[in-house]
Amino acid sequence: MKLDRRFLLRGMFQGSAISVALPFLDCFLDSNGAALAATGKRIPTRFGTYFWGCGLTKELYLPKKTGLDYDATPQLAALEPYKKKINLISGMRAIVDDSPNYQHWTGSAAISTGICPVKDRQFDAQTIDQTIAAAIGQGARFKSIEVACSGNKGDSVSSLGGPNTNPPEVSPLGLYTRLFGPGFQDPSKGDWKPDPQVLVQQSALSVVADDRKRMLQYVGANDRARIDQYFTSVRELEQTMAAQLQRPEVVAEVAIPSAPGEMEVNKSVPVLRGVVPVMAQLVALGLATDQTRVVNVSLAEGASTIFMPGDPKPFHQATHEEPIDAALGYQAVTSHFSTYSMEFFAMLVKALDDVKEGDGTLLDHSLLLAYTDTGFAKLHTLDNIPMFLAGSASGRIKTGYHIAGGDSPVSRVGLTIQQAMGIPIDNWGTGSMQTKKPVSEILA
Amino acid sequence: MDKRIVLKFAGLGLLAAGLCAAVAIAAPQPAPAGLRLLTESEYRNSIADIFGPGIAIQGRFEPGRRVGGLLAASTTVLSVTPAGFGAFSKMADNIAVQVVDTKNRAKLVPCTPKSAKAPDSACAGQFLSQYGRLLFRRPLTTDELKSRVDLAGNLAKSSNDFYYGLRYSLGTLLSAPVFLFRTELAVPAEGKDYTLDSYSRASRLSFLMWDTTPDSELLRAAEDGELMTTAGVSKQVDRLMASPRLEVGMRAFFADMLQLDTFSDITKDVLIYQKFTPQMANSAQEETLRTVIDVTLRSNQDVRDLMTTRKTYLDRTLASIYNVPFNAEGDWMSYEFPASSGRNGVLTQTSMLAMFSHPGRSSPTKRGVALMDIFLCEPTPLPPANVDFSIVNDVSNPKMKTVRERLMAHATNATCASCHNHSDPIGLSLEHFDSLGSTRLMENGQTIDVSAKIGNKSFSGAEGLASYLHDNPKVPACMARKLYSYGVGTSSEDVNPASFKAAYKSFVDGGYRLRTLLKGLATSSEFFSAPAPVATPTKTASR
Repeated sequence: MKLDRRFLLRGMFQGSAISVALPFLDCFLDSNGAALAATGKRIPTRFGTYFWGCGLTKELYLPKKTGLDYDATPQLAALEPYKKKINLISGMRAIVDDSPNYQHWTGSAAISTGICPVKDRQFDAQTIDQTIAAAIGQGARFKSIEVACSGNKGDSVSSLGGPNTNPPEVSPLGLYTRLFGPGFQDPSKGDWKPDPQVLVQQSALSVVADDRKRMLQYVGANDRARIDQYFTSVRELEQTMAAQLQRPEVVAEVAIPSAPGEMEVNKSVPVLRGVVPVMAQLVALGLATDQTRVVNVSLAEGASTIFMPGDPKPFHQATHEEPIDAALGYQAVTSHFSTYSMEFFAMLVKALDDVKEGDGTLLDHSLLLAYTDTGFAKLHTLDNIPMFLAGSASGRIKTGYHIAGGDSPVSRVGLTIQQAMGIPIDNWGTGSMQTKKPVSEILA
Repeated sequence: MDKRIVLKFAGLGLLAAGLCAAVAIAAPQPAPAGLRLLTESEYRNSIADIFGPGIAIQGRFEPGRRVGGLLAASTTVLSVTPAGFGAFSKMADNIAVQVVDTKNRAKLVPCTPKSAKAPDSACAGQFLSQYGRLLFRRPLTTDELKSRVDLAGNLAKSSNDFYYGLRYSLGTLLSAPVFLFRTELAVPAEGKDYTLDSYSRASRLSFLMWDTTPDSELLRAAEDGELMTTAGVSKQVDRLMASPRLEVGMRAFFADMLQLDTFSDITKDVLIYQKFTPQMANSAQEETLRTVIDVTLRSNQDVRDLMTTRKTYLDRTLASIYNVPFNAEGDWMSYEFPASSGRNGVLTQTSMLAMFSHPGRSSPTKRGVALMDIFLCEPTPLPPANVDFSIVNDVSNPKMKTVRERLMAHATNATCASCHNHSDPIGLSLEHFDSLGSTRLMENGQTIDVSAKIGNKSFSGAEGLASYLHDNPKVPACMARKLYSYGVGTSSEDVNPASFKAAYKSFVDGGYRLRTLLKGLATSSEFFSAPAPVATPTKTASR
């Protein structure tokens, strides 16, 4: 049965989804019909984010043309091989209304939550990856996996809301161990069977979960949300365990490598050039083996302090302190860091596209949002914030476009993503960020 | 359940039935007063104290975040994420495996089961109530114990292994919210006020003084109601303060106050600073903590001496950064910088100088902002969003060779000036120290000017800054504010100074000794005061 996806969404919006929800959702998951026919296994659609701080150099990245076959630009050179699988979205803005412009925070939080945050470094709502993970993560071992390429365990752009962020893996070995260390069973092995230990762990965990009612008596109204988050976390571990009792269906042609060694991890660009490809490959493997369906990769913090050895100015300092070169019309040193940030993004795209899966690649069955915090870091501007959508989300997103946002709110991208990932909403964001207009040009 | 039910065991020998020795103690109705997530060091110290230092703790802790200058204040706002709970759960099992393994069980399991291959609810109950009391910082409730003894029994039966059941039931204590969070409860005090109940008091004292869970004696004092009396609190405070473990507690406080965890996120550009190694970061933190503990506890000096002392401790790594010969037998040597060195107080130690710098160069602004926040409790507002900083970095400008000249450009801009005039003088006076803390006198071929002016006070260099801070009454006031905030888990920016007024007065009158301040804070009724509970639909709390 072939069904038009937009028809499905319309059905959901009009409230008629309930009676047909289950078969419809099945169709969603199986929308890559060829793969299903060939293997008998369904390929889930994955979601990911790539965050880098301090934006791009408009003079070097922004193509003149919009639509398909737009002109190549120097700052996006690393992405050129994947141009047909990526959308570039320019010209959108975060509209703060009455909230302040928290530097290196407001812009990225606006993109990931649809809300310009009221407080510094606190999310007003859960980030979009968590919304999507709640919808598509059932059956995967981890609801989401976070990775901080810089090695800083404070760098995470994923949150269930509030001041807590989901802690990232900060080294290739750490990421490997999380994904493929204890608790992992290689689904490609013929002798796969559920680990009986998991059943024991489940019964122990239920004792902890049963503490909930008693615990609520000990906490005041102010702390209720924190205890709720704790027990949500307990429940998610229960779901992880339930998933471990099912053999993951793996279509991708991958093998689990042995553990990477300890690597130096820090914010030096040459070090990142060694670390990011390894992290990216592990992320791709984690997705391909259905250990998780949602990943969040951050290069460094919003006020990015990635640096080039020998140059005393890290990225963020350079954005503020380097004058605009009168002849060039932009900041030369700063622009290099923006270019590096795109090279690192390209490494992630490559890692996903290198994994063959069904009739396409892992990238084809994914949707990857790349975003930053500002349009022009020197002045912390919130307009013209560049974003990318890589991958076609199993055919639900058309790719290869340059979309000019015309000063519309960045929340349109979040709305587009959620609709593409099958979340039945017709508007997203708050205040001036509230939008009902997805980027319809790229919705397949 | 409107009465506190506690399981009180007169002695472990009475535990024959394991679950039947509950004695009800009538107590006032406690109300929720606070919820604090254990910090990494509180968790680690608790496990080491309860099960012994031989138990390895392997796993990852979620990062804290600084609120009002202290990580401790974020423990009252943070929770546990799914990944965080996953990590806690693994750590719990890992610890439990070690506790019950054949190597440790004779020492750590207080009873021998009738058969190692069968359930024994009496022995399991004894084990779980003994460790439950220490982990939960209060006795387990009947329900809490029963659910765990049942689990131990079921698993022992299905696996034919008593200790297998014990492992998982201990794991549930270690993953429980009551262990991972400190639940503070309050009872009505005089008038409309509320005050922490005795177990909450025990925890507050123990985590402040020793950075760990209350020991058996403190729990006993809580059980016997002694901690609800002034004399009882005083007696326990004296005991805690007399212990060498006070150093552990104060190390944790100063590590937080001095923001030494910043080191986990700094990198130095090794092309510019060849001497930088990750080991250096550890050494630098250790140097500062040794100095601080030496001044404030071991020699019981005026805490303001932290601003001026030239005495320090060095290892080989640090000696090389300071260009000092290392000639000690052990790993560390005590050392006193000569007056001519320009080194004065912790401000001029590598830790503070390196943490608040860029990877490849010093930053007077970073240093100034950090030191104002840390020592004066004066956080600097964020700069306005749309400022062009280009001029600050235009080294090609012949008039602006040094950072000072470049920074001074800010002073001509009114928007910038309001904050930079505040933070930069402190930082500029430290410009004789590079991003790693080594001494230098020139920058880009020009002599560095280290004169500074704050308000109407002019001074020069680190020595001038040290004596300015030493004589500034805001410094000890800020330390008192931070210590109080650290103890009660509130943002130092939201603290009412009246809450520690008496303790502060005795601190000043006693010549600024840390012990006087600690004792004053910990024995004041304000230290345990709690807001009256807001009427909520939730039922009255009970234990």
